[in-house]
Formats: sequence, structure tokens, C-alpha cells
Amino acid sequence: MPGGPGDLLRQVLQTGQCVSCGLCLDLCPYLQAAAERVVMIHHCGLEEGNCFRVCPRTPTDWEEMDRRVFGAPRADHVLGHYRQILFARATDPVVAAAGQYGGVVSALIIFALDGGKIRGAVLTAGAPGEMPQPALAVSPDEVLACAGSKYSAAPSLRALHEAARRGVEPVAVVGRPCQVLAVRKLQAVQGIEAHHLAGRKVALVVGLFCFWALEPGFHAFLRAVAGKARILKVDFSPESMLVRTDRGPLCKPVEEVRGFIRPACRECFDPTAEFADVAVGSTEYDEAWNTLVIRSKRGEALVRAALEAGAIEVRPYPPERLPALRAAVRSKKLRALEVQASRGESSYLLIPAGYRQALTGRDQR
Amino acid sequence: MSASGVRLDDPGRSVLLTGNEAVARGALEAGIAYASSYPGSPSAEVLEVLAALAEERGFYAEWSVNEKVALEGAAAASLAGLRSICIMKADGLNVALDTLTALSASGTKGGLVVVVADDPGAHSSVKEEDSRYLGKVAHLVILEPADPQEARDMTVAAFGLAEQLRAPVMLRCVTRVCHASGNVVLGTLPPKPAGRPHIGCQERYITHVAYHRIQEERLAQAREIGEGWPFNAYQGPPEPEILVITAGPGYLYAREAVEVLGLEGRVGILKLGMSWPLPEKFLLRHLKSASKVLFVEEVEPFHEENVGYLVACHLEEVFPLALYGKKSGHVAGPKGPGLGEIDVDTVIRALAALAGIPYEAQPGDYGREARELVKKIPRRELGFCAGCPHRASFWALKTAIALDGREVVVLGDIGCYTLGAGRSGHYLMQTVHAMGSGVGMASGLGKLERLGFSQPVVALVGDSTFYHAAVPALINARYNQSRFLLVVLDNGTTAMTGHQPHPGSGVTALGKRVPALSMEEVAGAFGIPVTVHDPYDVKGAVEALYRLLRQDGVRVLVLRRAYALLTARQEKKPRVYVDPKRCLGDACGCHRFCSRVFGCPANTWDAALGRAKIDETVCTGCGVCATLCPQGAIVVEEVTRNGA
Repeated sequence: MPGGPGDLLRQVLQTGQCVSCGLCLDLCPYLQAAAERVVMIHHCGLEEGNCFRVCPRTPTDWEEMDRRVFGAPRADHVLGHYRQILFARATDPVVAAAGQYGGVVSALIIFALDGGKIRGAVLTAGAPGEMPQPALAVSPDEVLACAGSKYSAAPSLRALHEAARRGVEPVAVVGRPCQVLAVRKLQAVQGIEAHHLAGRKVALVVGLFCFWALEPGFHAFLRAVAGKARILKVDFSPESMLVRTDRGPLCKPVEEVRGFIRPACRECFDPTAEFADVAVGSTEYDEAWNTLVIRSKRGEALVRAALEAGAIEVRPYPPERLPALRAAVRSKKLRALEVQASRGESSYLLIPAGYRQALTGRDQR
Repeated sequence: MSASGVRLDDPGRSVLLTGNEAVARGALEAGIAYASSYPGSPSAEVLEVLAALAEERGFYAEWSVNEKVALEGAAAASLAGLRSICIMKADGLNVALDTLTALSASGTKGGLVVVVADDPGAHSSVKEEDSRYLGKVAHLVILEPADPQEARDMTVAAFGLAEQLRAPVMLRCVTRVCHASGNVVLGTLPPKPAGRPHIGCQERYITHVAYHRIQEERLAQAREIGEGWPFNAYQGPPEPEILVITAGPGYLYAREAVEVLGLEGRVGILKLGMSWPLPEKFLLRHLKSASKVLFVEEVEPFHEENVGYLVACHLEEVFPLALYGKKSGHVAGPKGPGLGEIDVDTVIRALAALAGIPYEAQPGDYGREARELVKKIPRRELGFCAGCPHRASFWALKTAIALDGREVVVLGDIGCYTLGAGRSGHYLMQTVHAMGSGVGMASGLGKLERLGFSQPVVALVGDSTFYHAAVPALINARYNQSRFLLVVLDNGTTAMTGHQPHPGSGVTALGKRVPALSMEEVAGAFGIPVTVHDPYDVKGAVEALYRLLRQDGVRVLVLRRAYALLTARQEKKPRVYVDPKRCLGDACGCHRFCSRVFGCPANTWDAALGRAKIDETVCTGCGVCATLCPQGAIVVEEVTRNGA
């Protein structure tokens, strides 16, 4: 469905629905961001534009997207398309230590870089307590420098345009589910040379589980929590925020950061990056491992190659854990539908009736 | 601007000079010892010429920090017994007025001539002030030349008159005198200024209300002089039916109109060379003989009002007499009576109506044809020059304000950057008043917090304006603990009026190198934090603006980059071109950012190719567009000195 900058303003930017994915930034000179807030500097006057086409929060045809990315309608309305769900982690202890949980994202990206499958990766850089920044990593060291969850909405897809400008291709994109959707929408844009090319340069999309991102005020909050201690890593459990520092761990109830949740995230229907090649999250179970959802053939091939090369190791997803994951995702989706209904406005969630019904019925799995 | 004709020591020779050059020539012939000015159109060239000749003629010339200081400097020379001239535009008179009204009361010694150039139609001004009213307020004699020859003649005469009256004399020029060229018969150049400047221990120049009487007596004396003064002249039949009272270039329009209409037998022209005080007896003599009077003057109905009052006082002598002009609506330019410039057509229409002659200034299809032709003229709007750093500064400011997200108030000021009130500056400026006004207003807005005003405030000021009038406002803001961001758009010169130097330039009007007085030093000395950034680095400038917008107190950001056209002349400019393979044309989505939105005149559109294009003859090679093109399609190629 066509739209332009005016529609983007009305439907996304002015309604607080922007997720700061960063893809529209640098598409044109008129969209810029500061402190994870995307603004339109100038209305270009066009009725249709790529800013609207690629935005993950403009109306999206989910059934079409399922067909485009996976070649078939979805069978699972909670977790989306997937071939396999596993526990996985990096075998290299340095990578595992740098990354969140098992460090499997860093391991896969470094593996793809080393094997020449990609020439660079669109990532997010920044130490805990600092505002994260888009990063285009072209070496394993640069990948490791970006390891670890950031918890806020860095517009990291900006680095995708940087890659196109610098001629770094193909690239992997590691991003939040909204960013994955944005990249897929970019890849779906036809006929407009440059942006189409920027999309085609993406050889691998790694999605990160994300139930919400926090507004930039969180970073200052984190610094205040840590005081003079140096923050090493931040982690969230359903109940609390755990901050590991050089002076020992600090723990805060998750309620204290809820106020920082980006309003747009309350309407997110996709916490597990359903359109990624592989999606990675915590296990909520074993800190040394990640949950790895293999979604596409391409993702499957990468994981298989990484396993064969010994870059990662996997173990079966504990069957007794699956209902908890499904329940969490399902409840997030239902909440998103509720919030959207209560706002009573048109939304990016053009969720087909079948998708809704499948959710509201009893989860059969 | 050329000093070559002005400097000729060849009495009696006729030389083509502009009005401004003619004023300078008159000043030379009068033997000035001191000349001062703050540059302003349309009179900026007077001091430029004088400064170029100061060395060889042995007098002093300076670009002063503002008109008030300029006048005070010239007045000081006068008090020391020297002839001095001070040149300003109409707006400058407002700045100098306090001093001028006082000088008129205290009296002066050496001839002091104050040249005030009005800009009817405001070709290069923000308003079209008629400074004759202020001259009247100051109890000054006002002379009005009509052409370059008169500009020279009246300037010479003004010095004598000033010395005779022991008070400043005002020479009121308008754009069409300043910028017009005409033959000027040169007079004799005196030897270098004679006499030692001196103020005797018994001399006093005190401003006091007691001298109001002397001011009035002086005007009465001047009125008597005016009665027989050759510049107040009448030409026409002894008993004209219509009397045109005019001054300045209106006189030339009136003469042409009479000739065109063949009204030589019915219309007389009374030209006032001295617009104030009025030569009442001379006027009355001619008013009595006419039955209709037409006033031809720019901009306001100054003569119309003053002669109208004279007529009212002598009604019985002049009756029956009808007055026509702006008030009656007969003298009206395209914008209406009392608005903008007038021209020959204006006067022809008015005279034809009074004489009852049918006259069509634009016969037949002229109007329609003209409108058709006008359509073919490419539309040009006011905008910054190619490569102008202000364009980059305004884009950075627009970006930073959007990123800030709050309703930032942008206060403007006077200079090239005033164009930022229009499309060239994305309509960012919300106020434009007078030199330095934006800073004073920012100081005021910054104090409204306790009343609930929470919008961030940005004041924009140019470098020359900074020194001219922003400094007291800045002191006020610092003293009263206001809060705003002052952005100085520093291109290192007074660009609007022809790049004259200013205190930050490090060079004087005489071309002497002096230590530059930097804004950092000035504001820094007030304890105000100053950041300096290059506007050509748009991204960095945005970051600086964004950061500073979020700070408290008074802070200054100097966006510094030398005036583009000057540097383009001095340096080997890089070659900038569009790579047609990278530019996506209308498929880009930027909707022609470079040529349409950023709007540098060098960024054009190749319609045949459907791609952006750089006009290399206009481009200064700044490369800012290359940093902003979303496709990186603009290439900046450094050109080395040996031409590779």
C-alpha cells in the first residue's frame, strides 16, 4: 500500500509508533535521528516514498511477507516459520564471554565473515550505560566489540546504507524483530535501483528476541544504578534487571525500568523476529546458552556449516521449556492486538483474521 | 566602485561618476580630514572610494563599528576644527540619531557633513525609511541632490554651510542618485588638509536644552540662506497653471514628464535643493502664481506636509490653490501612494490627470505583451550565493531544531542571512528588526521562564552585526542571567554591502593589518562559553547546535567559514560534479534535494538526462552538497595548482 512522507509523519512519527530501526535514515536527506528519536527535517513533497515503503510500522501484508521470505503461509501462528529450535552457543570461549548468554550471534557472524559469506555486518555498538550506535563491522574484532544486548532502540540499520555507500557487500544484519521486518520490506521494494540494491546486499538476517526496547533515559538510569562501578554486562529476567559490574553484581526489580519502555514496543506483534533467517534469544533457563530458532533454508545452511566448522555447538531445546516460550510470545501478541485496538487507529498490524483466530484459540502445541 | 575618476586633479573636466563617487569627490574638493562610515547600501561605496584615496590625499578614513561611533569620530574631527564626513544608510541614521540630535544642539566647528542614503523601494534594506523626518527632528539643514553632478556640488556646498551655521548638515541621497552614473564637472582639489587640529581650552560643546533656541535661530538663518540659494530653483512660465514641487531624482522625472506631455507652457518646476528648512518666501512667491501644486518626492509626503502647512498659514495669499500628491493619490507608484519608488510614468500619469490630457503610458497591447514576456524570464528569488556558508548553517539549524523536537524560537537580524527568513533559509527566522535586535529580544525571551515560557531560543547574527550592535545585548543577557543560544554566522566580512572589513577581519579601511578582535575573545571576556564550528561540516555543526540547544544560560556558537565568493576568487577551487551513474534522478526519493531544497544556485537539474548537475561556472567548490547527497553522487575533485 502506497504512502509517502506525509503518511509516515501521521501514522508513525507523530503517533509515537517509530521503533527507531534506522532504515529510513540516510534513505533521503530529510530523515534524521538523535537520541533514538527519528524526525523528519523537511517534507520532500512526494506522495509516495521509500521511507513509507520500508518502515516496519507502516501497514505490512504479513501473509505476503510469509510467502516472500519463506515461500509458504505460516503453520505456526505463535512462533512463525521455523525449521528447528535449539539451544546453541559459541565454542570459542572468548566469543561466548563477550556475547550475551552463549554468544551465538557473534559466533555466527564471525563464522560468516571468516568464510567469506559476508564482507561486513550491520550491528549495534556501545558499552552498557552509553547510547548505542549503529556499526558496520568488517572484522571479527569489530564484531566482538558490538557483542552484548543493548536494550534500547539504536537506529542501527543506518549502517546498512553505510555499507552500500562503502561498497561493503554482501552483509549480514543483526537486529531487533522490527529491524528484521524493515530489511525484508526493503528487499521487497521493486524497481528503485539503489535501495533495491541495498536490500539485495543483505545475505543474512539474524533477528534478536525482543519483548521491548527502552528509551534512551535508560542508559542514564543504568549509570546511576552502577555509580562508580564499571558496568560489564546487563541482563533481564522476567522479574529483574541484573547488572554485572567490576565491583560485583547489582539487581533491580524490572518494575523500575518499565517506565522506559518505548511506547511503540507495546504494539509489537513480533517478539521473536519471525522474518529472520535465524532468530536468537535467551533461554530463560541456562545463562551459558542461547535459544536459536532456525527459520529459513539460508539460516539452516549457515547453522549447519557453523556446526561442521565447530564455530558453534547446539543441543536440543528442552521440550518442557517450549510451552513457556510459546505462552510468553502468545501473550505478547495478544497484548499488542489489545493495545492497538484501544488506540483505535490504523496500524502496521494488518493482521489477517486467520492469524488472529489462531492466536485467540487454545494453543495446540 | 572606482577611485580613478574621483582622484583626477583636472578642474573643469567632465567625468562619469556615480552619485556615491560624486559625493566622495565633493568631500575631496572640500578638503576633508576625516571620513567614517558603517557600510550600508546604497551608500557603501562612498567610504570605499574615500578610503582608497585617503593615503594620497592625506586624510583619515575608517570603517567604524557602527554609525553612532562613526558619527562621533567625525564629530570629534569637526570639534578639532577639521572638515569631516560621515556616511550611513537610512537605518544607520536611527543608530546615530541620539548623537546627531545632540551635535545639532552643541554645535560643531569644522564642517561636518552627514550623508544619509535612503533606499526607496528597499532594494537592499528591510524598510524604506524617509530620513528627512529625522533630519527635521534633529533641527538640521537637509540637502537633496538630484543627480551625480548635484551630489558633488551640494557636498562641497554643505561643508561651507555647516561651518557657516556651526552645525552638521545632512546630505540626503537616494538609491537612484547613489547608484546612477552621470557626467560630473570636477572642481579644484585643495592642497592636503591644512591647519593643525586643535580644541581651545575655552571651547565648549555641551548639549543642553538652553541651546534649543540656538537650533531654531540656526534654522531661521538657514532658511534665509535658502531663499537665494542656487539649488532652490524654479524653471517654467512666470504664471504656471501647475506648479510641481520636487526634490532629488523626482526633479528629473518631472522635467521628462513635462517634456513628454508638451506642458512647458503650463507647468513650472520648483526644485528644492534644500528640503529643510523650507525657503518659505521663495515658495510662496510661486505658490501664489499657480492654481494646482503637484508634489513629486520619495518616499513619504515630506514636502507635501510641510508646504501644505505653509499653504495653510498663508491661505489668503495663495487661494485658490489645490494640492496634489501622495495624499490625493495622484502620485502613486505601482505599490500605491507613498510606497516604494516613483518613476517618470508615475509623474506623467499625475501631470496628465491634472492637466486634463489623455495619456496612456502603455499603449495598446503593451501590458499584455509585457506579461507574456515576463513569463519567459526565469524566476529568481532572493537567496544565498553559491557556496554561501549561510546555506549550510541554515540547513544545520533546521536539522538541529527538528532533532531537538521542541518549539525552538529563531530570532533573526540584519545582513545577508536575513534572506534566511525566506526559502533560502527554510523560513526559519521568526523575527527581523534592526541591527542586533535579535540578540536583545533573545535576552528578553530568555527571562520569561518564570512566566511559563519554556521554548528554547536561538538568535542569529552576522559577524559584522555582532560587533555593530549585538555586544551590548550580549552584555545585558550575561548580566541579567538570560538564557539563549547566540549563533554567529561568521563569514569574515560585511558581505551584504560588498565585503568591507570589520573588527574581526584584522584589516582596516586603509588596508592596514591590525590584530583581529575575535568573537571568542569578546564573548569569552563576558564569561560566555563560545564554541566555534565550520558550517561546511554540516554534520558536526548539527551536533554542536543540538548539544548547545540543550544547554542553559547564554552560550555562543560561531559558525565560521570565509565568504564563499571571496575564497573562490583567491583559491584554486575544487571541481565538483555529479556522477550521472550514481545520481538516481527522480528515482532517488530525495526529490531533487540539491537543486530544489538545499537550493545552491550551482546545483541545477539536467532535464535531458534526468539527473542532477553542477553549474561549474557558478560552483565555488565548497563541496557541501556532496556531503549531503543521499547517494553520494556528487564528486569533489581537488584541483592542484599546476592544473592537474
